[in-house]
Amino acid sequence: MKRINLLLGLSAWYGLLWIVLAIAPRDRQDWFLENLLALSAVATLVATYRRFQFSTPSYVLITAFLSLHAVGAHYTYAEVPFGFWLQQAFGLSRNPFDRLVHFAYGLFLAYPLRELLIRLAGVQGLWSYYLPVSGMLAQSGLFEIVEALIAEIVSPELGAAYLGMQGDQWDAQKDMLAAFAGALLCMVVLLVCARFGWTADFGSRGRRGRPA
Amino acid sequence: MGTHNKRLLAGLLVWYVVLSLWTAYAPADRQFWLLSSILPSALVLVLIGTHRSFPLSAASYVLITLFLSLHTIGVRYTYAEVPAGAWLDQAMPLGRNQYDRIVHFCFGFLLTFPIEELFRLTTPVRGWLLYYLPVMTVLGLSGLWEIIESWVARTVHPELGITYLGSQGDMWDAQKDMAAAMYGSLLCMVLLLLYRRPRLGLSRSVADSPR
Repeated sequence: MKRINLLLGLSAWYGLLWIVLAIAPRDRQDWFLENLLALSAVATLVATYRRFQFSTPSYVLITAFLSLHAVGAHYTYAEVPFGFWLQQAFGLSRNPFDRLVHFAYGLFLAYPLRELLIRLAGVQGLWSYYLPVSGMLAQSGLFEIVEALIAEIVSPELGAAYLGMQGDQWDAQKDMLAAFAGALLCMVVLLVCARFGWTADFGSRGRRGRPA
Repeated sequence: MGTHNKRLLAGLLVWYVVLSLWTAYAPADRQFWLLSSILPSALVLVLIGTHRSFPLSAASYVLITLFLSLHTIGVRYTYAEVPAGAWLDQAMPLGRNQYDRIVHFCFGFLLTFPIEELFRLTTPVRGWLLYYLPVMTVLGLSGLWEIIESWVARTVHPELGITYLGSQGDMWDAQKDMAAAMYGSLLCMVLLLLYRRPRLGLSRSVADSPR
């Protein structure tokens, strides 16, 4: 399949999914808060497309994460049906969907971040495996800080829902750990692939514009 | 490395060892002291092991020593009971001993420059990313620290929960600590930018930019 068709397909998929999930969210205000960052990310990707294009796998992974987030935002994360099903199946004390998406955040977005660091910053060698993990962890930490700020400033009741602490005092640390584990797993898989020569690394030729 | 630098490094090491011996003599909580001394000891050993093959600048060594000293003093008093912090709490109505928050800030403020130097010497990263990546690294390490802290709290003192040493009963403690480190890191990078700006302007930007 031609790359451009795949990218258009991804856009269409996300656009449709987003519209369907925007129709009747559980909590309109929470949905709005959750979508602020997601839509900013999409707008940034579209606006910078001509100047910097990610590789196709990166776009697929980003779309996968954004789709999961759109589902979570529709159900305020704490009430995602799939999460309830997981909770019952594994006998968990809470709906684990948000933890799952934190993990997916690290797992899916460490790869695009690594591409960004290699092609834009010229990072090489072991640094190109360490920095994405550190970066995902840092972003998770920043996210938890922003969450706390919003929870304290905006109405406390909504803050608690948005936060998705679900009554766990270590929620922030567990969320960060999930993202950290996801990013680590992604980098280990990449390292193994690189070791056996299954994948070609991002060339330095396509530093700007299209990937090499 | 000149003799001047060698003497400085020896002085820093002696200072840190003496300080460590003083804190090791009678820490407020031996178990906490032991746990909290693992990472600094490892860092010092790495720095000693690499000072020949990979020497950092004197400024970096001074900054790292300063941070380790603050940490060591905090560990001596389990952080929550550092006299300087208690005094600050009395002088200003802060509501709690803020020494640990200050050290979190110093983690960012004092260690960002050594990290920047590491990136400058070992990677081809240049430009604004050289200022961005150290901040991101500090924030990442802060997050990792909070994860480790919560893990220790849950395994070593599960009955204490959130009142465990680190958080002093504040549910937003982890977020505030990470934010403090980030602010310290940002401040350091802003100062570094201001310090380097005039030189950059003279050597490159003005001369090269087409008018």
